[in-house]
Amino acid sequence: MNLKELYQEIILEHGKNPRNLRKTEGFNKDAKGNNPLCGDNVHVYLKLNGQKIVEDASFEGSGCAISMASASIMTDLIKGKNEHEAKEIVEDFLGMIKENPELKSKYLSEDEKTKLMCLSGVKQYPMRVKCATLSWHTMVSAFEENTEEVKTEN
Amino acid sequence: MKIDQIKKEFPIFDEKIQNNDLVYLDSANSSQKPKVVVDRINEFYTKQFSNVGRSVHYLAVAATNLYENTRTSVQKYINAKDKNEIVFTKGATEALNLIANTLGQSYLQEGDEVLITELEHHSNYVPWHFLRKSKNIKINFAEINDEGEITLEEIEKKITPKTKLISITHLSNVTGAILPVKEITQLAHSKGIIVVVDGCQGAPHLKLDMQELDCDFYAISCHKMYGPTGLGVLYGKKKWLEELPPYQGGGGMINEVKKDRISYGELPNKYEAGTMATAQVIAFDQSIKFLESIGIENVMKHEANLVEYGQELLQKNNSVKLIGNPKNKGGVLSFTIEGVHPHDIATILDEDGVAIRAGHHCCQILHDKLNIPASARASVGIYNTKEDLDQLNESINNCKKIFNL
Ligand SMILES: Cc1ncc(COP(=O)(O)O)c(C=O)c1O
Repeated sequence: MNLKELYQEIILEHGKNPRNLRKTEGFNKDAKGNNPLCGDNVHVYLKLNGQKIVEDASFEGSGCAISMASASIMTDLIKGKNEHEAKEIVEDFLGMIKENPELKSKYLSEDEKTKLMCLSGVKQYPMRVKCATLSWHTMVSAFEENTEEVKTEN
Repeated sequence: MKIDQIKKEFPIFDEKIQNNDLVYLDSANSSQKPKVVVDRINEFYTKQFSNVGRSVHYLAVAATNLYENTRTSVQKYINAKDKNEIVFTKGATEALNLIANTLGQSYLQEGDEVLITELEHHSNYVPWHFLRKSKNIKINFAEINDEGEITLEEIEKKITPKTKLISITHLSNVTGAILPVKEITQLAHSKGIIVVVDGCQGAPHLKLDMQELDCDFYAISCHKMYGPTGLGVLYGKKKWLEELPPYQGGGGMINEVKKDRISYGELPNKYEAGTMATAQVIAFDQSIKFLESIGIENVMKHEANLVEYGQELLQKNNSVKLIGNPKNKGGVLSFTIEGVHPHDIATILDEDGVAIRAGHHCCQILHDKLNIPASARASVGIYNTKEDLDQLNESINNCKKIFNL
């Protein structure tokens, strides 16, 4: 593992020009997360339709390339999934970032898996894992309508 | 002064860190330890260990003497008038909490004002905030100028008839600004205001003379001073330490304990409740001897050269923006790179063995003022060389390349 592998095109691209960096109009779930050690912060917005399917997902915030890219990729691929699917994907992602060699969720397409695996490089940098997971924990918090701000501890 | 020789006294530089030579630029966070300090801890535990101040057996008496020797060494090193003005704590944080707590108990009253600065570390803000909550005191902030300095004029401007205490850093751990502590103290004392100094960054890098500075309290962090962790020093003028109430209660700090009354011990025991960081205190004597053997004037000259060199390098490196440009500057180079978050900078530099810090460095007030969430910080110690700063610059260039800058 070297740095080039961590800071690949896709991470840099999403880190510099994140997708969905905005506030969803008419959102019905949202939560804030903050990584006090680094000063990363994120506010995730979700709009669920009557069938509990994520119609739109977006975020606002600032942080390092890893946290921005992670939030960008997450909000992209969560659209069209329902709450159950989304939560399974979160579990799968968190498992991969911590220890699992690959992603297993049947709700992820090959292309989505490839994108997410770009973030796997942070495993080598334990201090940076929380940068990658902040928006994911925050999204779970939004689903569960927690009003308390998410604080990441690895 | 041969830096190569000095560097050899630090065993960590013999290690490969992830296959790299270590370029350690995080001394403002904590310094590395010379072999004499590490060995002293080992020797004390293997050959001399006993608790201090309790028993009358041989080892206990010897350990107590060693412990008290360090107190005397510190007293001399900082030129305090009296040995009993030196109190050991678990760190500068505890020293500052002790000051705020005891002044809050018996001196500061509701409505009194405490003046701190925008440069302060959280450990010189939060303890005063406790008093804001519990006693309704007010906290005012002296503001930095464009160079990241706190001037005497700014302090003067922020003093009101209600200001009872000024608590300031000696040397900013972010901008590197050295504050005119002596002048501020003179001004404060002329108005009957107490002065507390957070000396965490001052103590390892500046000449210390408590009688000349004349401040009322000075907090030192030993782990930043080539000494062990878990140890700090509180200097306090004797009249204050005698007058103020104890901080923590327990063994060692008492005189007489009865069911209906308790009297407290004399200084410095009054403030050293419980079993102290004995081995660390005894080893810290070696840190002081180490600094004395180099000579603080030499330390200051070496580090001033390094900072000037580093500052020039980074100023020439476009897209690097230095934070603050104080005239009187200690060994701290904080910076940002347009388009790269400080945490990404630190991770990329780490790959080359360059250890820096990224974040808000426990100075959120300052970062808010500067309108940035975080910064990268390279800070020097006695073992650093110009080559280290060249490597820093080179790794920054590598970082820019990765980010296509
Ligand atoms: C300016 C300043 N004040 C206070 C502290 C806290 O010191 P300690 O680690 O000894 O509690 C630090 C160190 O992080 C510091 O840099």
